[in-house]
Amino acid sequence: MSDSELGYGSSFTVDSVKVIAESVGIGNLVDDAAKELADDVSYRLKIIVQDAMKFMQHSKRQKLSITDIDHALKVQNIEPQYGFIQPDSLPFRFASGGGRELHFIEEKDIDLSEILSAPPPKIPLDVSLRAHWLSVDGVQPTVPENPPPLSKEAQKLESVDPITKLSKPANKDAAGKPVCGKAARLKASESVHVKQLATHELSVEQQLYYKEITEACVGSDEGRRAEALQSLACDPGLHEMLPRMCTFISEGVKVNVVQNNLALLIYLMRMVKAMLDNQSLYLEKYLHELIPSVSTCIVARQLCMRPEVDNHWALRDFAARLMAQICKTFNTSTNNLQTRVTRLFSKALQCPSQTNNESGPSMVPSMKESEKTPLASLYGAVQGLAELGPEVVKVFILSRVRWLGERVEGALSGIGGADRLAAGNLKHQLLKVLAPVVRAHRQPPDLPDDYKREYGYLGPSLQQMVSKLRSSPTGGNAGGAVAVVTCTPPLLPSPSPAPGPSLAPAPAPAPSPSPASVTIQHTSQAHAKTIESVASRNVVITSSAPQSPAPSTPPPQKFVIVSSQQKNQVFTNTQPASSAGHIVMHSSQPTIVRSQNAPVSVVAKPVFARSGSAQQPPPELDDLSHLA
Amino acid sequence: MGDKSTPLLAVLQLLRKYNLKGTEDILRKEANLGDVEYENLDLPEVELANILTAHHTESDPYSYEFAYDSLKKFVENSLDVYKYELSTLLYPVFVHMYLILILYDHNEHAIKILEKFGPEQDEYYQDDLKRLCAVKNKDQVKGNELAEIYSSNKFQVQLSRDASTQLKRYLHEQKSSPIIINIIKNHIQIDVCDGPGRSHAQVKSTLGGLLGEASRNENRTKVYYGLLKEPDLQILPAQIEDEEEAEETPDKPKKKKAKKDNIFMKKPKSDPNAPPNDRIPLPDLKENDKVEKGKALREAAKRVQLGPECLPSICFYTLLNSGHTAICADICDDSTLLAVGFNNSTIKVWTLTTVRLRGMKSADKLQDIDREAGDVLVRMMEEKDRETCRTLFGHSGPVYKVSFDPFKTMLLSCSEDSTIRLWSLQCWTCIVVYRGHVWPVWDTRWSPHGHYFASGGHDRIARLWATDHHQPLRIFAGHLSDIDCIQFHPNSNYIATGSSDRTVRLWDCLTGTQVRIMTGHRSTPFTLAFSACGRWLASGGGAGEIQIWDLSSGLPSAAIPPASNSPIHALAFSRDGTILASGSLDSTIKLWDFAIISDENINEENGNAAPTQKEDKFLLRSYATKNSPIKSLHFTRRNLLLAVGSYDGSV
Repeated sequence: MSDSELGYGSSFTVDSVKVIAESVGIGNLVDDAAKELADDVSYRLKIIVQDAMKFMQHSKRQKLSITDIDHALKVQNIEPQYGFIQPDSLPFRFASGGGRELHFIEEKDIDLSEILSAPPPKIPLDVSLRAHWLSVDGVQPTVPENPPPLSKEAQKLESVDPITKLSKPANKDAAGKPVCGKAARLKASESVHVKQLATHELSVEQQLYYKEITEACVGSDEGRRAEALQSLACDPGLHEMLPRMCTFISEGVKVNVVQNNLALLIYLMRMVKAMLDNQSLYLEKYLHELIPSVSTCIVARQLCMRPEVDNHWALRDFAARLMAQICKTFNTSTNNLQTRVTRLFSKALQCPSQTNNESGPSMVPSMKESEKTPLASLYGAVQGLAELGPEVVKVFILSRVRWLGERVEGALSGIGGADRLAAGNLKHQLLKVLAPVVRAHRQPPDLPDDYKREYGYLGPSLQQMVSKLRSSPTGGNAGGAVAVVTCTPPLLPSPSPAPGPSLAPAPAPAPSPSPASVTIQHTSQAHAKTIESVASRNVVITSSAPQSPAPSTPPPQKFVIVSSQQKNQVFTNTQPASSAGHIVMHSSQPTIVRSQNAPVSVVAKPVFARSGSAQQPPPELDDLSHLA
Repeated sequence: MGDKSTPLLAVLQLLRKYNLKGTEDILRKEANLGDVEYENLDLPEVELANILTAHHTESDPYSYEFAYDSLKKFVENSLDVYKYELSTLLYPVFVHMYLILILYDHNEHAIKILEKFGPEQDEYYQDDLKRLCAVKNKDQVKGNELAEIYSSNKFQVQLSRDASTQLKRYLHEQKSSPIIINIIKNHIQIDVCDGPGRSHAQVKSTLGGLLGEASRNENRTKVYYGLLKEPDLQILPAQIEDEEEAEETPDKPKKKKAKKDNIFMKKPKSDPNAPPNDRIPLPDLKENDKVEKGKALREAAKRVQLGPECLPSICFYTLLNSGHTAICADICDDSTLLAVGFNNSTIKVWTLTTVRLRGMKSADKLQDIDREAGDVLVRMMEEKDRETCRTLFGHSGPVYKVSFDPFKTMLLSCSEDSTIRLWSLQCWTCIVVYRGHVWPVWDTRWSPHGHYFASGGHDRIARLWATDHHQPLRIFAGHLSDIDCIQFHPNSNYIATGSSDRTVRLWDCLTGTQVRIMTGHRSTPFTLAFSACGRWLASGGGAGEIQIWDLSSGLPSAAIPPASNSPIHALAFSRDGTILASGSLDSTIKLWDFAIISDENINEENGNAAPTQKEDKFLLRSYATKNSPIKSLHFTRRNLLLAVGSYDGSV
């Protein structure tokens, strides 16, 4: 029937009636009969549905259900259609082909014996009653039972298009907002329309909450931390405190990276994780603070006091997963988040030949910059890329595997325990990340020589990995991890502290040198689940509160927020800095740190902070600063 | 031969009616009509008349379109003073054109005219048009609810005298094409009233009924909307001057106001608008009820005075795991019990305080109790029962309304199984089943004084019952479609009903007559609430709009346009009458400043004021819940707002 008729009720087409007739065994329905039937059936169906709507309305629903139809039939003295019980709405499937379009309901064959043998379904929960305050003296309290005062969509809209906020007059709908201070006064005298400043002003309760949460998150009491993180992950109505929380985290990362305080960095990353998990928060406005902090924790040259013993690898892994989560959640075609993060990491992996052009005039000519990219940073970059998916791995890591292999080889054969450990980890990581990609990418047979030719130093081990993977088709992630453990030891010099064992899958306790397994306690099952699904690796997940962080991590320190004065000092990288203990260049870009007794650390991008060097290369702005 | 024979059959029927046997026989012979058709002479009167008068135009379906166009042009070209009143003619003329065309088998033309002019009809008629357009041939006209309503009733149109003169002149000019004249003569009742033509807003405010506007003559009767004088209670003599209640729950009748309650102090002690106390015989108070009333009185003294500066606190009761199964809810007047009706035919009663729900002792144990003892009511209850929730089984269909009696001893429920059941809250069983309705009962309410209750449902009839009669005391017939909601006036003398014909009517319990018919709703009203003072009636509609009616005149006094399309299923006035709370299926509770609404109307009383439509002015606050559509609202005696909703996790 024609489109225009849709406005005032459509009816069955003759074709539909014929199809239905066929389905009940009437092969040759005449057109006229079909037309009569179509008209009549349409009319009767409409009447029934119109009656059914009354039952729907009186059941205080907005969705028509099958029982409504039954009741409508009953009202018209028609026997109801028994047996059509469906708790949810039935989705129509659509199929087309041969010029015919068909909507149908999918009916699956049900195996009766399967139903009979299955355990009886759970009894549905009984209806229960729960009371809460929707409003106290006209103000809606922000408790989990109430909807968040500013919905996620509204937060999103505000961050994407801030103009909407101005154009909307102070709406009375914002009932949940605790009216305080200036906002209240503004409301009282509505004659003057002043731009709302309320978001910058926290009520006393919110200030208290902020203090409590931040103290608990970085304090020494694991139980309180768990509670605080839980609160961050679940409470609605935190959005007003978000700017402060994010500043807290980013400042905290800046300071603690300099002090190599691994434990605190981990705590801060867990705060980020909790905030990302909070369903009522929309973090896009704060990414300019969060992303540099997180990427710092992935690729920083040094994150702990004793790189040779402390397990900073776990922090890098954790932060890498966070970064992947951020990319997944907030990537849009306008901010190109994932592209830029990918570029960030891939620059760290740049081969010397590629970096030469970019390294700028300040470079000491003889020194190839990325040659000096520390192995730990390389590890972080690899991990960061790996979390972004196999395609990224294929494009950015696989193409550089030869050069990376050289680095690993050099470090393994060289001296210095820390370097060897780092190289071992890096190698293990590379193999693990690359093996599935190579497997998918290459056709068997896997000849060691081909691999050697193509992938350099890592070729043979990669070949072993891949063939191992191929031979165990069911082997997923875990299989891969096991394969590493079994195949790597012979390749490692025996006397050095072998990284292999220490990376044994959880829950094997790390033997020999490193009791430094970082314990990341997950406050909710959901966390554990996401982490496990990403990779079941050397993060030890415990659900019970550990006595303390592992012995080798520094005891949690009281965290001090950098005051603005200090911040200035930190930020001024143009002043002669030779006397300063450390310089932090921070232009909303991965932190570049140079501490007195540690060599220059390059993070993600080969930019240097050098004490005493007058001609600093300016921080490149090809980064996320526009998000500010 | 169908279309040919219709007029012939009509003529035959007419001949038979006047007993003109000879002519009849000759005609039959001449037209070759068989006996079968002859036996089927059962055309309704109106249709018959229509067929006969319109006979000669039947052959020309094209003229309909032209005629409608010409009427439209006439309306558009007339002066602004008449324009809006005259434009109300367009819809009924259009509908009857469609029906006549269908009746004469000009189906294609009917659909064509519907598609051409349908979209330009007023928005609130579109639902009707969609229902009407299902009718596509003349057999369906007969069985269709809406088509029958249109063809067997006259559409009411109000015109000023000048406008009707204009119309007459126009019709005179149209003599050559009598289509419109016939329609207006047969199907439209023009109510001519003196005075100047009404403005656009005035016309709009009363439009929207299924059959047009209420005629003014129908609302002439005096309505005693004042409150009953409170009988003296021994407990607090002399302080009692006023009774108040209302709300959507059947309220505890005799709530008194504290002395300082200045809003009500303004009212003279003997309200001239109040009916005599014995107009409706009310049951005597029992000893126990007096105690309850004393309690209510003391509670009311602690009431918070609400206003725009002092908004109520809201306690929200969420029904978890109920999905779509919970249908209705009610909270008893002293806010201690909550009853919920489910679509699986059960009713659950929860206690909202720490007092447990006790059953009565078994019969042999009851015999041992000394009936003269002062605490006999306590003694007869089972002590061991410690339940916080009890389930009542008995209905065999979804329970659409539950309602506590004012004294908290009984519960009424109505259901799809077309019965009303009375439950005892002492033995927790069904005591009486009231049969009478033949189709689902949508709503039932207690009188604020107990003893009486009213019900209305799909059979379009409202009934007044007393608990001690198994037959209804009064039957109120007149609505053209389902009665969707019903409410007792606080003085128990009147019953208000809201119906799918988009009218709200007020019935006198004493005489059983309709005393007010109020049009202006644009969608089906689903809930009604009387203000605390008894003068105003609020109704919430299926499209989310709220109308405030003034019972003294029967005119709409305010229309609050919908905030969303979700129907409003709960309305409640605060106990001091300053705030109106509305709960909607879009999971929001909104508070409206009723003091402004009523003040404005009292100020404008003398002119025939156009209802105000400024939503922002009235809205105080809006509170969203978490996906919990509101089922019921209730103000406690201290003016705390209680709301009930069922969490809908699937959204």
